[in-house]
Amino acid sequence: MLKRILLSAAACILLAGCSAKGTAVSKTETPENSLNLEYAKQFTAEYVDNGCTLVTIGEDRYMVVPEGKTAPSDYSDAVVIQQPLECVYNAASSAMDLIDGAGALDRVSMTSTKYEDWCLSSVREAMDSGDISYIGKYSTPDYEALLEMDCGLAIESTMIYHSPEVREQIEALGIPVLVERSSYEKDPLGRMEWIKLYGILFGCEEQAEQLFDEKTKLLGDILTDEKNGKTAAFFYINSSGGVVVRKPSDYVPEMMRMAGGEYIFSNSDLGTDDNALSTMTIQPETFYEKAWDADVLIYNSDIAGSVESISELMEKYPLLSDFTAVKNGDVWCTEKNMFQQTTGAADMIAELHLIFTGEADNKMNFMYRLE
Amino acid sequence: MKTQRVRLIAGYIVLLLLLVILAAVNICAGSADISVSRLRSALAEPESDKVAYNIITQLRLPRTAAAAILGGALAVSGFLLQNFFANPIAGPYILGISSGAKLTVALLMVLSLSQGFAVSSLGMIGAAFVGAMMSMGIVLMISGRVKRMSVLIVCGVMIGYICSSVTELVVNFSDDSNIVNLHNWSMGSFSGIVKGEALTAAAVVFPACIAAFLLSKPMNAYQLGESYAVNSGVRIKAFRALLILLSSILSACVTAFAGPVSFVGVAVPHITKSVFGTAKPVRILPACFLGGAVFCLLCDLITRTLFAPTELSISTVTAVFGAPVVVYMLLHRERGRANV
Repeated sequence: MLKRILLSAAACILLAGCSAKGTAVSKTETPENSLNLEYAKQFTAEYVDNGCTLVTIGEDRYMVVPEGKTAPSDYSDAVVIQQPLECVYNAASSAMDLIDGAGALDRVSMTSTKYEDWCLSSVREAMDSGDISYIGKYSTPDYEALLEMDCGLAIESTMIYHSPEVREQIEALGIPVLVERSSYEKDPLGRMEWIKLYGILFGCEEQAEQLFDEKTKLLGDILTDEKNGKTAAFFYINSSGGVVVRKPSDYVPEMMRMAGGEYIFSNSDLGTDDNALSTMTIQPETFYEKAWDADVLIYNSDIAGSVESISELMEKYPLLSDFTAVKNGDVWCTEKNMFQQTTGAADMIAELHLIFTGEADNKMNFMYRLE
Repeated sequence: MKTQRVRLIAGYIVLLLLLVILAAVNICAGSADISVSRLRSALAEPESDKVAYNIITQLRLPRTAAAAILGGALAVSGFLLQNFFANPIAGPYILGISSGAKLTVALLMVLSLSQGFAVSSLGMIGAAFVGAMMSMGIVLMISGRVKRMSVLIVCGVMIGYICSSVTELVVNFSDDSNIVNLHNWSMGSFSGIVKGEALTAAAVVFPACIAAFLLSKPMNAYQLGESYAVNSGVRIKAFRALLILLSSILSACVTAFAGPVSFVGVAVPHITKSVFGTAKPVRILPACFLGGAVFCLLCDLITRTLFAPTELSISTVTAVFGAPVVVYMLLHRERGRANV
């Protein structure tokens, strides 16, 4: 008996030690001289000497140097981004809304997205007035324009990894290239939290943090509410008849889960793992087998184009008529702004919550009901 | 003669058996987990398992039918072209005819997506037919001037390149979403073919194949030389025009419904001729159709099941099996020339 008591006591001490250690680790994860990040995992920002900030994104390190200051010599491997940033070239369309949210859209002069592909009115207005110009696709930018405009920074999405020569060429011209990886964030709020990075880059941290806090507050009780168990599919039909769905670990299914619903596919259904993000094309029969009984269907109009009615959708996929969501009239279509309006992640979750609770209007900011 | 007949009968029996077996496997196998017993009970009582019933009748059945019909169409199209050019390597893909069809379908797709209107199956066939005929016209013009087969093949490949570059030009000025759609389509797939489309394909392919079969006799005479055909009473100009028209309709139909599918038109007629030991159209043309159907059913089965629930493009698989046949044919011809 005594032996048992002693063993139990030892186990308790060990467990207490472990948990204390765990707390200590989590506390040191965000040192005092670092930017406090609640959701984002793909970047860190550390405040170093001379008022500079060391930003780490994956393997890349960047030293953001304030105007009139010099970069500390200890970080020679970091790419120097000298403030004030002017004439920025942004080839990551999802970053534009974050830059706008941070109040620095006027510092962007060039983009790789055409006017007609923008759904952000502020960007369209800037292009209308000539403040932002299109200088070619991310894979074939107009290098002469970059030099002529005296570009201070090129922001690229991870698509640049497929065209490494473009990055090399821009760097060879003396322009720092920042590859933003917000698309790698699993947490939708993590994507939104990248606004803090743009706050640092453009020297408007306060506005960026304020907007982030406002948006996250919007979620209020949604995140803590009990799940209502409604299931949903998020998909589109491609031109060769395949069904393109989000991988279960992607941020869109995560938004559904945060909004109180359940994504219809699991990793085992699709043969994916926790690290698999973005989309995958599955066979129509797999989709039918899993999604016919989903409570809600959300059609992704980003690539395939928007649809006006369920019957229009059924022309592409006649079996939809058998789906529970179609019978109940719970079929929604995304607006074009869903993927560009990065600061709207919290609003999107709120809209999804309304859909799952049956309180949604037929026309919302990011989604509308198909008749 | 007797051996030839036995070979012919045996060949047809094997092809028919393979067609039935592969069609059955295509209907039974897929990414959705439907066992044979579940399949049987779903077919017997649709209301008891509506999911399985719908998957089988509305997805797998039309797709299997389309793979068989369009595969057969491609093989017959290739056979007609090979007869026309007296060239075993001639085929809709190699001669750039599929690329022409691809170009016009791409133009139509980009236009319809940007203008927000939907294109019907017949509209797609029409566009593909126009493109196929344009490429075919150029190939015909070249074939009248060159005698060497290799030059003709190179010209066909060049036409393919030109069509591809014009398609790229269109892509250059298209929205990203159009590019993604076009890219998906240009990889070729039998996925998403519904009952109505399979029936439309059948309504185009079967009459065209029957018409081609009715041309067997003049085709046979044509195989023995143009002057022999003229002396046999074949109206050469009309015959040639008909042959080209039928071949273009068949390949255009395939491109419209499944996108560009490579190598079936070249590989299948060659394999069929080798197996049957004859090139007589009256004997070989139905076998080509069956061979094409069997080949595409097998390839489609692989595309659907190898990495389920994702799917490979059909051309990825047909090229793996078809391209070695083309290489073999080229080597075989070279060896034949060296022996002469």
